[in-house]
Parts: sequence; C-alpha cells; structure tokens
Amino acid sequence: MSRISTIPFGPQHPSFLEPLHLKLNLEEERVVSVELSQGYNHRGMEYAMEKDWKRDAFLSERVCGICSFHHGTTYCQTIEAIAGLQVPERALIIRTIMLELQRITSHTLTLGHIAEAVGYENLFMQFFREREEFMRLANLISGNRVHYSMNWPGGVRRDISPETAKELENKLDEMLPKLQMLDGVVRKDSTWLKRTKGIGVLTKEQATTWAVVGPVARASGIPYDVRLSGNAGYHLEGIRFEPVWREEGDCWARAMVRMDETLQSVDLIRQCLGQLRDGPLVAQFKGHPNGEGFSRNEAPRGELMYWIRAKGESKLDRVKIRTPAFVNIPPLAEMLPGCEFPDVPVIVVSVDPCVCCTDR
Amino acid sequence: MLRSTFKNLFSHPNTKRYPSVPADLPQGNRGRVEWDMKKCIWCMLCQKNCPTGAIKTDKAGKTQSVVRNRCITCGRCVEVCPTQTIFMRQQYSKPAMEPEIHIYGAEMMQWEYRVENLPILNHKKKV
Repeated sequence: MSRISTIPFGPQHPSFLEPLHLKLNLEEERVVSVELSQGYNHRGMEYAMEKDWKRDAFLSERVCGICSFHHGTTYCQTIEAIAGLQVPERALIIRTIMLELQRITSHTLTLGHIAEAVGYENLFMQFFREREEFMRLANLISGNRVHYSMNWPGGVRRDISPETAKELENKLDEMLPKLQMLDGVVRKDSTWLKRTKGIGVLTKEQATTWAVVGPVARASGIPYDVRLSGNAGYHLEGIRFEPVWREEGDCWARAMVRMDETLQSVDLIRQCLGQLRDGPLVAQFKGHPNGEGFSRNEAPRGELMYWIRAKGESKLDRVKIRTPAFVNIPPLAEMLPGCEFPDVPVIVVSVDPCVCCTDR
Repeated sequence: MLRSTFKNLFSHPNTKRYPSVPADLPQGNRGRVEWDMKKCIWCMLCQKNCPTGAIKTDKAGKTQSVVRNRCITCGRCVEVCPTQTIFMRQQYSKPAMEPEIHIYGAEMMQWEYRVENLPILNHKKKV
C-alpha cells in the first residue's frame, strides 16, 4: 500500500493564466482525488453593474477579456428584450461577424495554450502568430484590440465600410490555408496525439450530469449550440450552419471541436459579409428600461446568460450573469482522478477555464 | 509541421521592432481623444456621458481635461459631441511614469495640451 501525498496546484502556476487552485491527492504519480477552490479573482462585477445601465454597455465587456464582445452583446440583448426593441438587420449581421471573429481569437488562444501545456512550444507560437492577424481584423472593424466598445442597446455603434469588408474578405482568404495547416497538425501530429488522446475523458452521461456547455459538451457527444436556438441574437437566416460535435470526450476531441469551430467561424463570417445590406445601425429608444429581461448567447466557452431586473431609472435592480466557465470547471473533479500528474495541466487547460468569467 | 519549422528558422521574425518601426495601426483605430477647442460650446455632454468619469469640463476656466489612464477609448464622447469638437486620433498617447491629466485650453494652440499629474497621487507621495 502506498502513501497518498497532497500537492497544491495553483493559484500561481506556469500553465495557468488565471488563479485557480487545485488540491491534488496523489498515489505515486496517479491522481486519486481533487479539490477545487475558486474566488481569487472576485471583483464584484454584478454589483458594479447595478449603478448605471448606460455605463454597463462598456462595463459588461470588462467581465472577461477573451469573450468581451459576447458579454457586451448579451447585455445589450437583455436591455433590448426589456425595452422591446427591434434591432436592425445590419446591426445583427455586424454583431454576428464580430462574435465569430472573437470566437476565432478565443479558440486560437485556447489551442495555443493546450499546445503549451502539452509542451509543443512550436505549435503554441504558430497559433499565436495567426491569432494576431485576427486581432488586427477586429481592430480594423471596431477600433480597439480587446475591449471593442462597439455595442449599444439597440444596435452597434460602428459600421463596416465596403473597403473594410473587402479587406476582411481578402485577409480571411489569406488566413484560411494557414488555419488548415494548423488543423492538420491538431488532427494528425503524433506528438500531439500521444499527449491528448484518451486523456481526461468526460463521457456523455457525466457531461449531462454536470450540465457542461459549449465545446466541452460538444466534445462529449452533446450537439448543443445556443446559436441555433431562437433566444440568441444571431442572424442565421439564409446561412448554412451546423454545430460541430464529437463523441470521444477526451482532450483531443475538445481541441478538435475548437479547431473545427475556428474554420467554421471563417465560413460564417464570409457568409455574413455576403448578406450585408444597407440600413440603419441603431434602434433608438428614450427613457429607462423597466421590467425583467433574459438573454443568452453562445460565447467561445459555451452558453452565456444575462438576467436583468430594471426599475425604470438609471440604476438597475439586479444583474445576474451565468458564465460558461462557471459550469465547465467543476467537472474537472470527474476528469482528473485516474490521470497521471503531468497530464493535469493539459486536462485543466483543455476545458478552457476562464477564471475571470467564473469569479466575476 | 517540420517543413514549417525549418521555414520559420530561416525567415524573418513575425514581430516588429516597434519604437524604430512605426506600429501597424489600422484605419479608424481608437488611439486617444483630443479637443479642437475653437469649436467647443461648453455643453458638458462629454463629461456627462463619459462612462469612466475621465473627462472634466471647466466652464469658467475654459479648459477640457482627460485623465489618460482612466480613458477606455470607447468613443462615446465623440458620438455625443454636437459640434465635432472631440476627435479620436489614431496614435496612442505616450507612455508615462505617473498617471497623467492632459488639459486642453481655449487659448492654447490647436491640438496643444498641458500635462499635469493626478493630484491624489501627489498627495500620497508627500505622506
């Protein structure tokens, strides 16, 4: 009988970008059980958002840096739902383009970090090089690199000019072969497969029990995508779209779902650019919102929900945010036991734990 | 993968040596806000609409000031300005050792500003 040793993993760890603490109980090199603790990054965002609903269009983006546009859009959708606003079609298409562009930057970041956790520094560098081009495209459309400040309740604040649309299209044509090359590496490279295949398996039953969302659920055989439901503010009329999903449920499947979604997002942006028609950008409304509203959206990590109760003045009564990482991190307690210690960073990074979103 | 590795080994780095080479900023980049003080009508809309409270309008002293570190370059002030006094320049403001306030006065030259440090931080230093 061997002794069980306890190793603290995080909150400060080279493989984690953000503070998350895991208490690992090891039997030799094998993980027996794990305890998770969060809350190192709590900033009181929900309370701060109650102060002024106009300021929140910018503040909600600051909940998370990697899915900032998704947060801003979902907040604006909720205010639109309360006020009963009809968003113009052009604004919806521009939002969809930006949401997909940010999904590409987020997924390439995650894939790069899985590569780094695996020890594949070369692939990490290549992912981040391609990501930079998409960051520049987002800068071209919105004017900022990370926090785009482009949303406003009722529509968007910046237009896509024909020249911008043309440059976007040319750049996507240029980037697609590079992404396809990286797709080939993620799909077939032997070093990568050895470190990711069959590791950190989350079966379909476990995924249903833990109620995971987003790419983690889709990698475990649940084809669930909020973009297809009517509640999300996506413009998908006349656009070919099918959710990407796999059945393996391991780290490789999660990486693969993200890689396929990146290529799918390029396709979605192209289709949206073809559908851009002239029209107004913002639906104006006066006064303050009054009542309850709910909205959701497909963030890069999964389903993002906002619930707001307004009381007819500039202050809001309550803002509730449920972020996807909040439900995706706890299943680590199911995935980690039984794995080798060097695989722990790979598994943790493969669920894309955005602690910034989780702690708020 | 090996092919691209060797290709990268003998190619130039993808990054740029920024201060000596100008940054590749796209058209319409939101760098910093500036005032064209000849057009200002002192309506104080920029101050009221600033989400972070970075802008302060001094109607009596005829100055507009912005705390550069608080400004999130959202462009809300540019949107609400009725006379297009505020302008979003493409370039970023220069890095500084301390939080800076940039003050634009009515009697100054166009696009010229005066730099002051945040008063709270100065007070902290003395203690």
